[in-house]
Amino acid sequence: MNPWELIIQQPVINVLIVMSHYLGDSFGMAIIALTIIVNILMLKLTFSQIRSSKAMQDLQPKIAELQKKFGKDKQKLSQEQMKLYKESGVKPAGCAVTMIIQMPVWIALYQAIMLSLAVAPEGLLNLSKYLYPWPIVYSVLPLNREFLLLDLAQPNFILAILVGVTMWLQQKMSMTISTDPRQAQQSQMMLWMMPMMFALLALSFPSGLALYWVANSIVRVVLQYRVTGWGGLRRKPAEPTGDADKKYLKFDASEEKKSTDEVGADIVISDSEPSRKDIYHPSKPTKTRYQPGKDRSKGRRKK
Amino acid sequence: MNLKGRGRVGRLILLVILILAVSLVGFGCVKGLAPIGWSGGIVSDGSLFVGSKEGRLVAVNLADESRLWAEPLKPVSSTGFFGCSPAMGGGCGGASRVAIYGTPVIYEDLVYIAGYNGKIYAYNATSLGLRWVYPRESNLKPFVGGIAVFGDKLYIGGEDGKVYAFDAATGDLVWEFQTDDKIWGTPTLYNDTLYIGSFDKKLYALDAADGSLKWYFTAEGSVIATPLVYNDVLYIGSFDRHMYALNAFDGSLKWKFMGENWFWAEPVVVNDVIYAPCLDGKVYLLKAGNGAKVDEYDMDGSVSSRPVVVDGSVIITTRKGVVYSIATDTREIRQMADFEEDVDGPLTEYGGIVYIHTADLSLQRINAATGAILRPVSLESQ
Repeated sequence: MNPWELIIQQPVINVLIVMSHYLGDSFGMAIIALTIIVNILMLKLTFSQIRSSKAMQDLQPKIAELQKKFGKDKQKLSQEQMKLYKESGVKPAGCAVTMIIQMPVWIALYQAIMLSLAVAPEGLLNLSKYLYPWPIVYSVLPLNREFLLLDLAQPNFILAILVGVTMWLQQKMSMTISTDPRQAQQSQMMLWMMPMMFALLALSFPSGLALYWVANSIVRVVLQYRVTGWGGLRRKPAEPTGDADKKYLKFDASEEKKSTDEVGADIVISDSEPSRKDIYHPSKPTKTRYQPGKDRSKGRRKK
Repeated sequence: MNLKGRGRVGRLILLVILILAVSLVGFGCVKGLAPIGWSGGIVSDGSLFVGSKEGRLVAVNLADESRLWAEPLKPVSSTGFFGCSPAMGGGCGGASRVAIYGTPVIYEDLVYIAGYNGKIYAYNATSLGLRWVYPRESNLKPFVGGIAVFGDKLYIGGEDGKVYAFDAATGDLVWEFQTDDKIWGTPTLYNDTLYIGSFDKKLYALDAADGSLKWYFTAEGSVIATPLVYNDVLYIGSFDRHMYALNAFDGSLKWKFMGENWFWAEPVVVNDVIYAPCLDGKVYLLKAGNGAKVDEYDMDGSVSSRPVVVDGSVIITTRKGVVYSIATDTREIRQMADFEEDVDGPLTEYGGIVYIHTADLSLQRINAATGAILRPVSLESQ
């Protein structure tokens, strides 16, 4: 056995088999339980990754400002962006690095599940070399592949759909809203492409693997919620560019109500053609937000 | 784009490539996902019949090495995407081949094989033309175990947990018997009794004539090995790491011996000594009468294929393709060859030559007496 098999695969496989025994001879339950345990063990890394990506998201308005300011001077823009990242303590590569660190663990879990499932006869024969000499391991094998009326060795349509849905949810929650339209388009494409691809893959692989993907996505959704709340799932405020041409503006009270209530500011509904500076701009909250005694504009009138 | 921008894009592309490469290697390197097959061979009228890893029956004329191929077995229609089939265990690229695990058997002028596609085929031994197939239209659950012939009947166990008996000439179903789990083992017949193991941890003894249950023995693990019957005693390995010796008439336990892994392969017996290969990389020599260990050999690799006995030697091959010979009188072991190819199926012996079906679609040949390695015969169809 090579070091990877000896240090990573073998322990994970044996743990899966033993867990299967203690969870009522259910390999499905063992997959779910081990996915949760592995996620708990990697909690720190996962939170770091989510926070990193949240910090990047929070910086988007400032980056947009920089792009506006230094749009033509790419070199200056790059310098300013790096300066901003440094000042904010954000490492743009942080997310990717954390993902790379986590990847071997997910690969090991995937391999352990596929090997333990032993879909083909060769798989069961191969599995024999990974077994520890624990009597419990030998009494459970071959594993019971039935779980909630599913055969975990066969693809399952419902589970494939669940893979797509849970993955989409997770992606949507963690999606970074970019001010760059090109980047935003790419994010949108990824949001749909990845879940669809995994759902299609789930239709071709044993549903034990799909169960692992679903369990993992659900755990990630919960962790993401802990850090960012609903994140990208929240309804987006109205786009300023589209509203600029409208005659009537509807104020989205849910976004700003709290701040305006605090300071007792007025809500103005105007029937005149609005100027761009009067429109609430979600991407520039610090600049347009009302500040007591500072930015009470002349155009505003008391209710 | 300025230099810095290009550098950043370059790093990003490099990162994406790195992630993709790691994913592809990691997610793609799980061995044993797709069924390949491990059929052994049988010799009749100077021809060796074997189920190739291309999913077709091959007849090799041992005199002139000419070969004849039957039509490839038809796979179960795939419901998976990207050319992957659920029957392939999610593995891709091999969905067009049907794995053949059982060794072909011969009765009169017909050769029989069972496929992983859940069908049993009968071919004319001379022309390899198809005589009959069961079932004709649909597919049963996959067959991993081989067929046994006794009288004018064929016997086989399937993944649906059923033991089937067919009329050898017509392919008509004679009887069936349901066990509680999958069957991967090949049945053994002795004194009108059919012995077959199941994943349900039981070894069944059935009346070969009508399929009625005579007795069953419950082990602590699944039973997939092929039983060996010698002097009214039945020897069978189990997933509980034991080799059991049972009374062939009533199933009572005579003795059991524990190895360090599964006894997957069928043992052989020479001079009242059982040669039992184990997946723990050892071959145990046990006294047939009481199970006492006479000797053990470390093969430096697990053994899953049934050995053969040739002229006072037991020839054994490890899964890595290393061939050993154990002299039954002196108990001396020597390495005969290292084919560096996977070997999972049983060995075949005919006329002092040992035939080994390796993963590279070849039939390796060794002269058992001299140890000379002969030129391999390719089973690859042209």
